Amino acid sequence: MENQNKEVLYGLYDDEEVLMSAVKKANEEHLDIMDVYTPFPVHGLDPLLGLSESRLHIAGFIYGAIGTLTAFLFMTWVFTRDWPIIFGGKPYFSFPAFVPIMFELTVLFSSVGMVITFYTICGLWPGSKTIRLNDRITDDKFCIAFETDNTDVQKLKDFFSSTGAGSVETATI
Amino acid sequence: MNQFSFESKQKSVLIGGMILGLICLAATWWVGDDGHHTRFWSNFLHNSVFFTGIAFLALFINTAFTTALAGWHVVFKRVFEAYSLFLIPGLVLMLVIIAGIWGHFHHLYHWADPQALLPNEEGYIDEILTGKSGFLNKYWYTFGTLIIVGMWIFFALRLRRFSVEEDKSGTTDYAHYKKTRLWSAIFLPLAGFSSAAIVWQWVMSTDSHWYSTLFAWYTTISWFVAAFASIILLMIYLKSKGYYENVTDEHMHDLGKYLFAFSIFWTYLWFSQYMLIWYSNNGEETIYFHLRRQNYPVLFYGNLVLNFLVPFFVLMRNDTKRKFGTLALVAILTLIGHWIDFFLMLKPGIRETAMHGHGEHTFALGYSFPGVLEFGILVGFASGFLYFVFSKLSQASLVPENDPYLGESLHHHV
Amino acid sequence: MSAVVSPIREPLIIGHKDYHQITEDICAPTEKTPSLMWVIAFSISASLLAFYVFCVGWTIWVGIGSWDLNRTINWGWDITNFVWWVGIGHAGTLISAILLLFRQKWRTGVNRAAEAMTIFAVMCAGQFPLIHMGRLWLGFFIFPYPNTRGPLWVNFNSPLLWDVFAISTYFTVSLLFWYTGLVPDLATVRDRAKGLRRKLYDMASFSWNGSAKHWQRWESLSLILAGLATPLVLSVHTIVSFDFATSVIPGWHTTIFPPYFVAGAIFSGFAMVQTLMLIARKVLNLEEYITIEHIDVMNKVILLTGSIVGVAYLTELFIAWYSGYIYEQFAFYNRVMGPYWWSYLGMMSCNVISPQIFWSRKIRRSIWWTFFMSIFINIGMWFERFVIIATTLARDYLPSSWSYYSPTWVEIGLFAGTLGLFFTLFLIFTRLAPVVAIAEVKSILKGYGDQYTGENANQHH
Repeated sequence: MENQNKEVLYGLYDDEEVLMSAVKKANEEHLDIMDVYTPFPVHGLDPLLGLSESRLHIAGFIYGAIGTLTAFLFMTWVFTRDWPIIFGGKPYFSFPAFVPIMFELTVLFSSVGMVITFYTICGLWPGSKTIRLNDRITDDKFCIAFETDNTDVQKLKDFFSSTGAGSVETATI
Repeated sequence: MNQFSFESKQKSVLIGGMILGLICLAATWWVGDDGHHTRFWSNFLHNSVFFTGIAFLALFINTAFTTALAGWHVVFKRVFEAYSLFLIPGLVLMLVIIAGIWGHFHHLYHWADPQALLPNEEGYIDEILTGKSGFLNKYWYTFGTLIIVGMWIFFALRLRRFSVEEDKSGTTDYAHYKKTRLWSAIFLPLAGFSSAAIVWQWVMSTDSHWYSTLFAWYTTISWFVAAFASIILLMIYLKSKGYYENVTDEHMHDLGKYLFAFSIFWTYLWFSQYMLIWYSNNGEETIYFHLRRQNYPVLFYGNLVLNFLVPFFVLMRNDTKRKFGTLALVAILTLIGHWIDFFLMLKPGIRETAMHGHGEHTFALGYSFPGVLEFGILVGFASGFLYFVFSKLSQASLVPENDPYLGESLHHHV
Repeated sequence: MSAVVSPIREPLIIGHKDYHQITEDICAPTEKTPSLMWVIAFSISASLLAFYVFCVGWTIWVGIGSWDLNRTINWGWDITNFVWWVGIGHAGTLISAILLLFRQKWRTGVNRAAEAMTIFAVMCAGQFPLIHMGRLWLGFFIFPYPNTRGPLWVNFNSPLLWDVFAISTYFTVSLLFWYTGLVPDLATVRDRAKGLRRKLYDMASFSWNGSAKHWQRWESLSLILAGLATPLVLSVHTIVSFDFATSVIPGWHTTIFPPYFVAGAIFSGFAMVQTLMLIARKVLNLEEYITIEHIDVMNKVILLTGSIVGVAYLTELFIAWYSGYIYEQFAFYNRVMGPYWWSYLGMMSCNVISPQIFWSRKIRRSIWWTFFMSIFINIGMWFERFVIIATTLARDYLPSSWSYYSPTWVEIGLFAGTLGLFFTLFLIFTRLAPVVAIAEVKSILKGYGDQYTGENANQHH
């Protein structure tokens, strides 16, 4: 991240439907939205903001496959190469008995891997520096923020007043 | 288009299918015959059980969704209703099997053989079968089938009547809907008990000595997946004909999810049953899987490929549940897969019975693998099933106009 | 985004809430000084926990001989408690994961607390296999690691080792799922706080800021974790059932055990959720978020799973007769008519017969009936595990070694003590984190708030 401070102008809306129409209008006027902050996930917002679909599930599949293989190869190695033992008259390579642990490690690798990936790509961890504009965003306000460098501030203010923003404020990040 | 019209072209195709099926079924009376017409009778039992079960599961799914206030399926719930009414012809088919038991026309069930309970040449009595004879006898088989399927038909007709009446005289106090909900809730526990009893009689008792407590649930879930697969196919067909424009990708996605989830659940039950029997290694239990794995390996492993690997790897992705071509392909494969699952449950045990326990399970079409005739019979039964379903669909509006959940169902979003 | 909701759906949030009011109501319990009720409950729980520590110490100092375990009853209250707690630990993930996939919106009111309960119940469950090893300090032997005892590995073919993997995976994944859901709500608490409290909650919430991209990924993650947790929750009790069903003990070796254990787990888990929720909604003033409708729906789940368990009990009995196998037949005769007949009776009446009163809508919506029944079911499900474990082991193949098992004070103390552990953790949780998922409740407000659906709906919306 750059050390240079940026000026931000943001507006707070009271309702997610008003927010959605504001975002649509911003798109029509070709205003460059920095980000939108909401108290809960608002459905239908992602395509308006041009956010591509999350690819987290692909990562999850790969982690899971690694888990399956780890469990399978390890148990196979232990019982056919490293220290073969006959349990209950079964063959050394007892595939049905390997299935439960293979399944568990698939889920474990996939979940832990995805959670770590999620926090890493979002840049979230204890003490991370995120952009926090207003305390009401996690409560009941829906926020659209613009960077004001190289932008006509008056045009943005007009945008906010015409789309029904409850309050408009500035911040330095 | 909320009114389905059963076109004459569809009728002639389906009648053609039924005639093909009849010819194939008749042919198995002679082709590959073992002196007891076992191939004919086992095919008849296999397909009757498979399609009657699908009808029962459609009724079960409809009542379960109603009780859980699922809502999203309401726009096409008439399909479930039409399916469930197939229980009536299903009962007729099973009555043919019952007539066969009374008249000793077939050797499907070892326990139905009057010789089975008598001492053998060396003077030994089959104590296991004697112990079971309080349940495995022609009286219980007849009584159980009549009472249980009769009870299912009673509920199917009743729920259908409420639903159709609601179209005509439904009001905003939703009296019909409330009755539907009550009767659906009553049906669920009855279905839970009765389906197990019917599976023991119809399917598990073909291996007369063998038992497994999980078997009834395993079989029921096999029907469940087959019912969903066939409903997906029917919906895709109806949509291609211009019906059900209100049924969107979102609905199909959910149907696909059910196919995916319950294919995994089926695998879970398959594994639980197999692994526990494999692990404990009791001869009287392992004989079931030993017979099938050693002598019917293609079906044994093919069952897992079609019913687990295919739906799992194809439907895991989100987009494949929305591509009708892919979804239809998976549905066809799993439908055939579960038909083969029933084939594998029934045929080896019936063959053992017909050979009176003396004989090798060598490769033979119609037993080791479904032959052309078996697939012809499947086409015949499926055509008959569809003919019935289409004629029931044409008797009422495709969309239940006054259902209180219709609005939700029409605006369904994943 | 006002969703189309059927006119006959019951509202899930009552009291004409707006977004801010939801925040106020749900955050309040974490911000006020604890009530007298809380302090009393905490003192009792903490005392029980202290007694638990004492009993564990006693077991280690004196040895497993301080329990009444003996040949042939090598599992008694310990494993009964283990299975009971694991079962209770199923409802949370079930509510969050399976109901998310099945689109049951009512889960938003209860999922957070149920998940917390899951985690605490699994912690209680995990105690018993460790303590019953006797030499607790050698507990790390269960891990597969290259060791100095020769390169001899653990037995990967043993269901007991599968349990180690299943329970630890389940605990880890439940914890991640729960905490990831909690992060945005902790940020809500943070933004209302000042000073050190604000700093601590900022750490806990990973500096969450509500960015649209973060929400998108968060939802995607929740959905996939739900998808993974669904088979996981099935696998856990399945593997617990394998502990019994892979054996050749009559009454244990039965193929229906996996799904039947899972149904029983859901059943007992929901009963425990009801017990906790009925108290929590009252004490924490959350009656408008955990409504009578929520209680009604959960009672329906209890009725359903109770009936499934009933089908399984009868299936077992029938197949025992049908099998023609005399040892199997004796095992079940012994359960019903043997010296432990009272535990079989308790199991049947608490689990199958009495939940049938929930066919009545009036009883389903009665708080007292529900509370009474939830306790009843908790007891009944404990009996079920006792029936399976102790009754079967007390009379095995060899009549000369038949005996009768009854617990010592140490075993009873360990069980009561884990109740202390459970409630202590739960009470701390109610003080530290929002008990209801704030963001998720807000996301269903339009559609399921009582100003939008139900009798008192405002028609203008």
